[in-house]
Formats: sequence, C-alpha cells, structure tokens
Amino acid sequence: MSICANNNRATKGYRLRLAATMATYLICLATTVRILGRHHPEGWVAYGLALLPALPVVGAIGVIGIYLTEEKDEYQRTVIVQSMLWALGLTMATLTVWGFLELFAGVAHFQTYLAFPLFWVMAAVVSPFVRMRYR
Amino acid sequence: MKNGLRELRAKKGWSQAELADRLEVSRQSVNAIETGKYDPSLPLAFRLARLFGKRIEEMFEED
Repeated sequence: MSICANNNRATKGYRLRLAATMATYLICLATTVRILGRHHPEGWVAYGLALLPALPVVGAIGVIGIYLTEEKDEYQRTVIVQSMLWALGLTMATLTVWGFLELFAGVAHFQTYLAFPLFWVMAAVVSPFVRMRYR
Repeated sequence: MKNGLRELRAKKGWSQAELADRLEVSRQSVNAIETGKYDPSLPLAFRLARLFGKRIEEMFEED
C-alpha cells in the first residue's frame, strides 16, 4: 500500500504508521470474526463488532493525510496526489459501472469494504504512469 | 518553463543527487525540474536561485 518512491523521514513515518494500522486491522478483524462466529451477538454489539475492523482502515486514510502534510518534497507530493486522484477516479468509475451491472445485468455483488483495497490497486497501477510523465 | 539548471549544476560539478541534498528534495525532483517536466513552486525556485547566486528570472523563462 505504498506509492512513495523516496525514503525520507515522512516516508518512514508513513510506513511505520501504516504498519501499525494494518496490524490493528488484522487484530480487529480476527476478533470480530471470532466473536461473531462463536457467540452470534445481535443489535448494538453486532454493529460495534462490525465497525471494529473498519476503524483502522479509516485510520489508514488519516495516515495518508499525515504523510501528505509531512512530505516536504513538493514534487513527490504532487506525484502522489495526482496518483491518488487518478486512483480515486478509476475506483469510482469502476464501482459505478459495477453497480449498474449488478442492478440491471445480475453480475455478482461487489462487497463495498473492498473499495479501499481496490483504490490501492488502482494507485499502484497508475503511479508509474504518473511518474513517467515527469521523466 | 525552460531553465538552465542542468548547465548551472554541471558548472558547479554537482551530481543530481548532490544538488537534491542541498535543496533537501529527492533526486527525482531535480531531474523533473531539469527536464522541464515539473515547474517548482515559488519557494523552491527561490531556493534554487539563491543556491546558484542568480535571480529567478535568470534561471527560468516561459516556453
């Protein structure tokens, strides 16, 4: 989930924070799956448990925001922001197209929690092309 | 924008990496500016001009 090409202080901080949020995500996901699988809670407890793995993912978005404020290299910041904008656009386009295919053509349901990993796949794909524009 | 950064850097005998260190940016940034593919912000342009003892308008010109 890294599109940072350099190895400065901001990038190191980003990687560390991201590793922490991803570790938290795995723990939260395992906890939710375990408790839901064994005890089948309902109501507010189920809602709370369902939200548990989502919180670190939301945190990861914040980690990206912190990185962008800490990155002093304006060129790197430009490349990353452009990559993310392309990735965001492609993700929204993909989800919109998929949504209509689901609605009218009966294709398989897309789990919306996969939107975040899809965004990162898109970012990884477009990032080299964005960098290529500046070579 | 056009710039004579590559020539100025060559005169000083600095590599792209050395210039990047002095500017506290990445080597890719220096390369992107030299090739004219990336226009630096005003603060970075000032830092560049100061480093080479030039005025901004001496370093950059419109395409």
